[in-house]
Amino acid sequence: MLLLCSRAVHRCRRAYHSYDHPKSAGPFNAAEEAILAAAYRQVPEHGFTDAALAIGAREAGYLDISTNLLSDGAFSLIQWHLVQQREALAARKAALFADDSSDPSAVAARVEALTWERLLGNTDVMGRWQEALAVMAQPSYIPESVKELAMLADEILFLAGDVAVDPTWYTKRASLSTIYAAAELYMTTDHSPGYFDTRNFLRRRLGEANEFGSAAHAIRQWVGFTASAGLNMLRSKGMRI
Amino acid sequence: MTAIPLRYLSSGSPALTSSTASTSHPNGSNPTSGTRRLKPLAASQRAFLSSALRVNQAGELAATLIYTAQTPHVVAREPHLRPLMQHMYDQEAAHLSTFNALIARHRVRPTALYPVWSVLATGLGWSTALMGREAAMACTEAVETEIGGHYNSQIRALLEMVSGWEAEGYDVGDELRDLIRTLRRIRDEELEHLDHAVQHDAQKAEPHWLLTGVIRAGCRGAIWVSERV
Amino acid sequence: MASVAAAAIRPALRWALRRSALSNCQLSRTFSSTVRQSRAPIPDYATPNPARPTHFGFETVTEAEKRERVAEVFTNVAESYDRMNDLMSFGWHRVWKDYFVSSLNPGFSPLTPGLDPRAPQHILDIAGGTGDIAFRMLHNAHIVNGNPDVHVTISDINPAMLTVGKQRSRSLPASQQAALSFVEANAEDLTKTKPLSMSPPSTTEADITSAIPDNSVDLYTVAFGIRNFSNIPAALREAHRVLKPGGVFACLEFSKADKFPLLNTIYKEWSFRAIPLIGQLVAGDRDSYQYLVESIERFPTQEDFRDMIVDAGFVVGSNGGYEDLTGGVAAIHKGMKPRA
Repeated sequence: MLLLCSRAVHRCRRAYHSYDHPKSAGPFNAAEEAILAAAYRQVPEHGFTDAALAIGAREAGYLDISTNLLSDGAFSLIQWHLVQQREALAARKAALFADDSSDPSAVAARVEALTWERLLGNTDVMGRWQEALAVMAQPSYIPESVKELAMLADEILFLAGDVAVDPTWYTKRASLSTIYAAAELYMTTDHSPGYFDTRNFLRRRLGEANEFGSAAHAIRQWVGFTASAGLNMLRSKGMRI
Repeated sequence: MTAIPLRYLSSGSPALTSSTASTSHPNGSNPTSGTRRLKPLAASQRAFLSSALRVNQAGELAATLIYTAQTPHVVAREPHLRPLMQHMYDQEAAHLSTFNALIARHRVRPTALYPVWSVLATGLGWSTALMGREAAMACTEAVETEIGGHYNSQIRALLEMVSGWEAEGYDVGDELRDLIRTLRRIRDEELEHLDHAVQHDAQKAEPHWLLTGVIRAGCRGAIWVSERV
Repeated sequence: MASVAAAAIRPALRWALRRSALSNCQLSRTFSSTVRQSRAPIPDYATPNPARPTHFGFETVTEAEKRERVAEVFTNVAESYDRMNDLMSFGWHRVWKDYFVSSLNPGFSPLTPGLDPRAPQHILDIAGGTGDIAFRMLHNAHIVNGNPDVHVTISDINPAMLTVGKQRSRSLPASQQAALSFVEANAEDLTKTKPLSMSPPSTTEADITSAIPDNSVDLYTVAFGIRNFSNIPAALREAHRVLKPGGVFACLEFSKADKFPLLNTIYKEWSFRAIPLIGQLVAGDRDSYQYLVESIERFPTQEDFRDMIVDAGFVVGSNGGYEDLTGGVAAIHKGMKPRA
């Protein structure tokens, strides 16, 4: 829509994670955080809505009109939830994995455990999550939503100890994002005790992705091996290549 | 990390050495001490560091593949060059694994054109090696000239960042100091390859100007692209 | 549309455009110095000074003189004000204003148990003479949000504009008319306001009534007005003074479309070449329209104006503090007065 041609996006992006330097400022400033934190407590009752924001603003000592600080309105509240849950994963990692060994063979299991942990982060707002997904799917919010999903996939793979920096970096993140989004949607209609069905759904999808990944890897290896064997054979016949 | 020969450290900028001397904490270089004051990285600085690590990874990947493709031909014709080729390959492979580790550690997106660089680098190594030892060495000369300049400009930018922090009274973390040291070491090794190439008749390749001109232009284009993609 | 119109009239009228072309050349130099001046946090700016130099379009005049000459412009165009905005925005200004008001959502106040289930709101619409924004505010608050406890004060420096607004307000429902008041005031000093009287102006000091008190306003709006102020930093500080903690400053103003070079070029052609001419042909008043165009060009960029809002003590949203409309031809800036 021409009216809202451009939205200044200044939220933090994924780039060079420093261990020395203090964390750069988060996506929200202090006043926004105060309003959002209070509004988030209203979500189970009022949903991810302007009403929750206004009540939160009042509780934080601001006015109804103060919610104008959050130019994305209700979507800011959804973003708050997403960022909070993503950032909480790092702290839960220690509880999830007793041994801190970065054994590469355990990466797949760790990815599953972390993804499941993140899905459980939605349980408090589960009754409101379908509405939230609908807001996130609005055209003007899709870029931010997709970016946040990509950051979640990156966080999970990083915490799981995945260090691949070849083209599988992209395929792993893409498939994990897709699987997470599907499982999240599945979970909103799952009434089994303890979201048992969702857990199985997640396990199946991740299993399929791993199989596919290892098949692709095997094919690549086979092609590489055959090519170099062929080359050597031709060289042994005296061809100068 | 491998031990760093002293001469690389002594070539440190005044900015770096003076800060170590003037730091008020005796254990100022200890990363676990909580008293140091570091400035959060600005968005532009983070973007610079990401793109620097990304382009370096792409470059070292290409370098290992060039040597991999060249070695069988060069060695078949001139077996005495085997140790040299092996030495240069080993260094490039070590550089690649250094940058792979840095990229994973600092959560930088690797180059999206990985397969493209693989094909192009292998093709370049293979075709120059087919043209003979001189052409292969001219290829090394051209590539390493560009890469040396490229590392130099990165080091310069990092030193500017460091002196900016020092001017504002902030400390400089080991992370950045180590990165600068690593880049210096790698740059010197790349320039060493350049010397080897020239010693082994790189400039006798025909036509030398065309070959190096084309390869250097290609390198600059590849650097420009992988800083962005 | 714009390019076609501009192209069609351009060749015949080149002779008439020498003046605007000349001013264009000086533009970049003089403009950058304005930005530097206005961004410097000098307390000097806190108080209006009638003798200090400021800008009238591309001319440099004193603050007092600018005030007079702006008044002259708006007295001249009060009647045709809407037509002027239509020309500058290709009619988009109505859509922008609708969006501006609905995004602010005045009167929105969810019912909660407690002493004050629906909070009353006081909106101050600065430079709102013709009532364009105020009437929309009342509609949004009273009808859309069903909150009748919303009062709007329309303030303008120019009684001619206020009179137009007062007349137009007669067609509103009585309850909305009752929630409106009109005052004549200078936005740089809201301690002196004068209620609009339809009788001939008297000059006694008794007419200067109450000040707008500190911490009394929920929402301060200014739409297509702030660029005419002689001293924008002083007006921002005054806005900060009258707003309650948590209150919101919101500004809709023509801005820079330079993120989209093609759009920008077309828009500049249109505004510098066509509009003064149209003003001459349609309203017989070239100078007022020339001023309008130049004052838009003079106004700071989105980022610079956002920084001025921050300098005045407001908190702005972390995703930039402003929103571009139609590629930046106009922009909405919002700031919140933080809690003490």
